[in-house]
Amino acid sequence: MDWLESGNMAVKTLTSNKLRTGLTMLGMIIGNASVIAMIGIGQGAQKLASEQFESLGPNVLFVTPGSPGARQRTTFLPRNLVWDDAKAIAAQVPSVASVAPQRQSQFSVTYGGKNRTTLVMGTTPEFLIVRDFDVAKGRFINNVDLERNTRVAILGSEVAEQFFEGKDPIGSKIRIRNTSFEVVGVLQAKGSFLGSNQDDAVYVPLTTTATLLTGRTSPFGLDLSFISVSAVNEASIPAAEFQITNLIRRRHKIITEDDFTVQTQKDILRIVGTITGGLTALLAAIAAVSLLVGGIGIMNIMLVSVSERTQEIGLRKAIGASEQDILMQFMIEAVMLSAAGGIIGTGVGIGGILLVAAFSPLQAVVSPVAITLAVTVSGTIGLVFGVFPARQAARLDPIVALRSA
Amino acid sequence: MSTIVQLQSITKVYGIGDIIVNALAGVDLTVNAGEYCSIMGASGSGKSTMMNIIGCLDRPTAGRYYLDGIEVDTLPDNELARIRNQKLGFVFQQFHLLSQLTAWENVMLPMIYAGVPVQERRDRAREALVRVGLEQRLQNKPTQLSGGQQQRVAIARAIVNRPVVLLADEPTGALDSTTTEEILDIFGELNASGMTVVMVTHEADVARRTRRVIWFKDGQVLESNLSPKDVALVNAG
Repeated sequence: MDWLESGNMAVKTLTSNKLRTGLTMLGMIIGNASVIAMIGIGQGAQKLASEQFESLGPNVLFVTPGSPGARQRTTFLPRNLVWDDAKAIAAQVPSVASVAPQRQSQFSVTYGGKNRTTLVMGTTPEFLIVRDFDVAKGRFINNVDLERNTRVAILGSEVAEQFFEGKDPIGSKIRIRNTSFEVVGVLQAKGSFLGSNQDDAVYVPLTTTATLLTGRTSPFGLDLSFISVSAVNEASIPAAEFQITNLIRRRHKIITEDDFTVQTQKDILRIVGTITGGLTALLAAIAAVSLLVGGIGIMNIMLVSVSERTQEIGLRKAIGASEQDILMQFMIEAVMLSAAGGIIGTGVGIGGILLVAAFSPLQAVVSPVAITLAVTVSGTIGLVFGVFPARQAARLDPIVALRSA
Repeated sequence: MSTIVQLQSITKVYGIGDIIVNALAGVDLTVNAGEYCSIMGASGSGKSTMMNIIGCLDRPTAGRYYLDGIEVDTLPDNELARIRNQKLGFVFQQFHLLSQLTAWENVMLPMIYAGVPVQERRDRAREALVRVGLEQRLQNKPTQLSGGQQQRVAIARAIVNRPVVLLADEPTGALDSTTTEEILDIFGELNASGMTVVMVTHEADVARRTRRVIWFKDGQVLESNLSPKDVALVNAG
């Protein structure tokens, strides 16, 4: 008996009890659909995250104080990053286009009767270029502000909306940590970044931050939270990373471990990728359990089918079917059930992804790998869970089988 | 005249726990080509066990069995399946047709296991169905056929692989008397055209249509060559 005959026979048997076949397949359909959908949603989240990183600005690097190695150092205390470090990078590193030193804190900001604790960012005019922000209204920080420690503030779109509710905020006075600032500009909305709202922030000149808000806390100069740097182009990112590292090591007189970290967008993307990848794997693993349950459902129905069709098996053996013929017949039925369930489930899963994509910021990612995996796995599940019932059938004694009524 | 079935000192012992049943206790029997014989006996006499052994569905505990010159009592399961497929045809009391297949497909089934090419399969199955008078019912499923028609399909299925012997186990047990006659006519015609037929029955009327009666009692052959005319006699005694 060849494969084609067995397949033909299996189709006849499966279509002769459509309700049962459908219900059995349902287990596999749900299992496959959830695997495909979960992987798709996970990968959609991954894609969303990486796109948000790309929106940070072109070719951005971050220099942050501290490093895993510096914490263990005892002879030299780790130094913070200071404005002079940022100035040195801008002046001496040729592969760097722009440098934005940033000093951030959470402060209570008030206007009228409203009070809001928000991110207050001290920075320089370069911030706009490096981080790819646009001014919606008024102006951003300029060099005069930096020189004169002016008390001006530029609002993120969210803050502007919260305080002024559509009215023009330019010229109004807000209070940051009980110091009065004049609003001179509003930034264009940028959206959230990894869940934190980039528009919920107030920007003030770096020098003003140091003198009026945070104070000077480092003996080496005006200390910073981090430095954003944009490289000349994408190809020069590795060079910029190397040159910045060397420069800061020299400035901080480091001979052992760095006391700062230079991260490229790629580095951060990798970290995010690891996190979202883990999340995807977790979702897929949960979904895989339902695939397993579907497989057990197939085994269950195949066992019922074997005991129901005892006479048929006896007859087939009497007219010349060998044990292998019977084994193959039942195996093919099981594999067909699970593979068909797998294919339909894949369709449902893709539909689910498209649906999620239509109603959420997640993008639809239909992964061919996930589909091949799901169909292969469900076929294999059919094989694995089909073996036991098929062996039961193949080993039936034809005399006993024929006599059972 | 060539020998088709040759049984030498066949015994069959069933052990159910401590109880041992001697279903067959030394049976010697020969059936020649072209014979039409019936196996009779009271229930428990061993005639069904005999049928299973002749049909290669079961192996004897001891003794030799030659089917068409081949010693089959020592063959492994897969070889026995092939022998059943190629050399034997079965007709059962309960017809045992597959309900999801048409009459035509049911008859094709043994040829599928024999590896006969599709076209030849279809032709031969049709021929067999014509032979039992069912050329109008090729596409009917078993549920659309009467009992007698179903048994005819079963006979067509049994002869389609051109077996050396046709085995029938109470083939008319589930049929009324008119249909019984029709089915026995078919067996008679098949035998007339050269088919060796062995039939198990407990009905004297059925055995009377055969040409030789083998009488079983207590796992042994009481009479191996009884004339059908004498059946009533033995039955009474």
